[in-house]
Amino acid sequence: MNRQIRRVGIALLVCYLAVFVQLNRIQVVDADKLNNDPFNSRRAQREYNRPRGQILSAEGAVLARSEDYEGQFYRRKRVYPEAELFGHITGYLSFNYGFTGVEQQYNDDLSGQSFQVQVNSLEDMLVAGNENVGNVTLTVRKDLQQVARQSLGEREGAVVLLDPRTGELLALWSFPSFDPNLIASPDREVMETAWSIYNLAQGKPLLAHSYRERYFPGSTFKIVTAGTGLQTGKVTPESPVYDFRNGYLPPQTTKPIQNFGNGNCGGALFTILRESCNSAFAEMGQSTIGAVDMVRGAESFGFNQSVPIDLPNATKSVFPTDVIATPNPPKLAQASIGQNDVAATPLQIALVAGAPGNGGRIMKPHVLKDVRTSEGKVARSFEPEEWLAPMSPEHAQTLRDAMLGVVSGGTAAGLQIPGYEIGGKTGTAQLGNGLVHTWIAGFAGQPGQAPSLAFAVVVFNQAETSQTTGGAISVPIARTVLQAALPIPR
Amino acid sequence: MSPRRNVSAAPAPSDAVRRRGPGRRRAPTSGQGSGRRNTELGLLVMVVLVTAGAYVLAALGQGAYVPANIGPFLLVLLAAILATNLATRRFVPDADGMLLPIAALLNGIGYVMIARLNPNLAGFQALWSGVGMLAFVGVLIFLPRVRDLANYRYIAMVVGLGLLMMPMIPGLGIDQNGSEIWVSLGPLRFQPGEFAKVALAVFFAGYLVEKRELLAMRTRRLGPLMVPDPKHFGPVLLAWGVSLMVMVRQTDLGSSLLFFALFLVMLWVATERPSYVAMGMVMFGVGAYVAFRSFGHVRGRVDAWLDPYKDPTGTCCQQILQSGFAMADGGIAGTGLGASGSFRFFAKESDFIFVFIGQDLGLLGATAVMLCYVLIVGSGLRIAIRADNNFDKLLATGLSSLVGFQAFIIMAGVTRLLPLTGITLPFVSYGGSSLVSSYVIIAILLRISHESAQPSASRRVVGAGASA
Repeated sequence: MNRQIRRVGIALLVCYLAVFVQLNRIQVVDADKLNNDPFNSRRAQREYNRPRGQILSAEGAVLARSEDYEGQFYRRKRVYPEAELFGHITGYLSFNYGFTGVEQQYNDDLSGQSFQVQVNSLEDMLVAGNENVGNVTLTVRKDLQQVARQSLGEREGAVVLLDPRTGELLALWSFPSFDPNLIASPDREVMETAWSIYNLAQGKPLLAHSYRERYFPGSTFKIVTAGTGLQTGKVTPESPVYDFRNGYLPPQTTKPIQNFGNGNCGGALFTILRESCNSAFAEMGQSTIGAVDMVRGAESFGFNQSVPIDLPNATKSVFPTDVIATPNPPKLAQASIGQNDVAATPLQIALVAGAPGNGGRIMKPHVLKDVRTSEGKVARSFEPEEWLAPMSPEHAQTLRDAMLGVVSGGTAAGLQIPGYEIGGKTGTAQLGNGLVHTWIAGFAGQPGQAPSLAFAVVVFNQAETSQTTGGAISVPIARTVLQAALPIPR
Repeated sequence: MSPRRNVSAAPAPSDAVRRRGPGRRRAPTSGQGSGRRNTELGLLVMVVLVTAGAYVLAALGQGAYVPANIGPFLLVLLAAILATNLATRRFVPDADGMLLPIAALLNGIGYVMIARLNPNLAGFQALWSGVGMLAFVGVLIFLPRVRDLANYRYIAMVVGLGLLMMPMIPGLGIDQNGSEIWVSLGPLRFQPGEFAKVALAVFFAGYLVEKRELLAMRTRRLGPLMVPDPKHFGPVLLAWGVSLMVMVRQTDLGSSLLFFALFLVMLWVATERPSYVAMGMVMFGVGAYVAFRSFGHVRGRVDAWLDPYKDPTGTCCQQILQSGFAMADGGIAGTGLGASGSFRFFAKESDFIFVFIGQDLGLLGATAVMLCYVLIVGSGLRIAIRADNNFDKLLATGLSSLVGFQAFIIMAGVTRLLPLTGITLPFVSYGGSSLVSSYVIIAILLRISHESAQPSASRRVVGAGASA
């Protein structure tokens, strides 16, 4: 019996050895993988109880801060004083639902774990009562967010305003928004109720429509088509001169692309852009430019590419690439005027609209201005960086002039603000159900200077009326926001 | 050191010899015995220090304060542990000196973890620890000779099976967390399965010692295999089958697996026939396959084991995935006692407590706890080898493997080495039934250890042919 008893011991020892090996696998070998698992919310959960810096707007308004809290699991809670106004930008830090937005993107800075914050707060540690955290200041201005919110009102839509010279986002509003205080609430019931209500609510309030959802861009896409035509040299201000007619019939179809209201239009670049002439731009993209250059041109403006914005989960805008492999003139013609399989985020359209005024360059869009230690020392700041250069400066200048013409005497005349140079492009994307997305995108600045603002405003699902060539609904919103944002002329 | 010489040096040797073995009254203390008791006392004092230190650290980690009740806490702990040492000095002076301190250490670590995970349960766990130690002392007092238990083997069988079936009696059983393994008797709630395993180990030991020769002989042909006469097997198969059936009905897979392991180990050690192990494995395979096919909860466990990402937030897999995350979070050195959140976790203080040991104390702490079980099993099996009669041997083997396999099943379950089957981690998990039965096991092992160190002439004769 003794031999058997010893073997039982050996068998158990082998069992324990296997557990030991497995423990090593979990806790050492695979530990990193498990810690970064998307279903692992422990990191966010632990951050919840840690000291955490503030998030501030460009003018210093507190957007997020930590408060002491007495709870079974929590010793702190995260408070968002501006609630819905910055919900899509700050995101939330929730015990249950992890984090999003700036809370996620700059978590290491906020919790003081990033190298820059740690190095720069070494001396701060000697100051009693100081918490080793980073305060994150954004480029987004609270006053502009408020103006955007007021002028858009309770209509589903988005307002994106940025400085095309640096890529700084000044306003990034979309309605409906959500209150991060509820999702981040230490009260489990509040948190879970808010979560389910927001997930059921119409218009997906938790989703930032400004940069995480894409829509038909409609005629605003003509900026891309025109820019591509100019850059490839196939289009100049003088030629080609497109026929004056009420529609364009691409090859291989009997269904013509109609002009708005079945009206007649045509001419050279400046004229057709001013009048947003569908027949001319459809022909330009399909025939003058061609599939290969259209796809390449759209991609040079940022389509089919991840947007390098410093907010998590940004959506890419898309332009169909299958028109190269399987020639499909009707599809290409429709895509050239922002229909068919073209879809863009409002952010993407604002970036496109900013390029002509910025020498044809698109800067990396960002919301971070700088990170400071609790003593106010700058630990790091965001350096402007070029993302794309779809156009040369001279071609950009041409397109800029053409877009100025749209405001001075075209479909976006309502945008004019005396004393400023404003260019733009309207858009009315038909959804096929009688509803439209109405767009306006463009740039604004002081005369003779590079524009200091680029913008895109879109109002979704508006009833189509004879007047709604983008202008009637979106232009007044854009104008109000621009008036608030433009510097007072000296 | 020869026992005989010790006896002559002991104060009242003749008395003990005349009594033919240790009685209820003070047994003769050999030099070796008091040395072992002093070692035990030293280790126990260390256990007190480790437990109290961990208790303070956990409180500091959670709220940066030294617990207000640390003074009384220390005193009570010290008193309880001194009492057990006094009991072993009085009743089993020559017993192994390692088992009790290791059990107490696991008990202490478990208490600290429970107090940190769910402070509401800490008081109860302290109470249960006290009851467990009382049970330990009680067994030492009221079980003067383990061998005598062999005479009650059929009673043990009836008691064991009765306990197992108790939760199925309407009005007694309570469905808790999907497993019907609880019984409510007035204000008292307990898991009879925890006691049934001890009773069944006693039955198996008694029965197998009686029939081992018959079982070892293979008289019948069954296909290519020679098998023993089934009539000798009847009661064992009955007990085994009923216990498994009951377990499966109560959806208590962990205990079911444990019973199976116990049965197999004891049968093999008693008969020394490897073919039994092979047959057992085949039976287990068939049983496992049938269970997999016919019971949804078994299939769920296996699915979660194979691919926890199938439904990462669902009831099947969320728990096992989160276990992995928690332990990975701990890494090598752990997040520190109480420093990390316990998060929302089901059964964190019972079945999953090993996960939080891994989280708070890291790979090092989890390995240390595992080594405690290695030491318990090692000591237990050494006691079995040294025991001088077959019943003691078999019982000690069964009880040691009970603790060993039970710890293995749950540790392997939460680390996803095996499909997860809920069962308590002996001495560590929250729960009175588990603690009390575990302490009873330690007491029986100590009693066997003490007896085999006794220089009784009469027992030498009795046990002469016993050591195989």
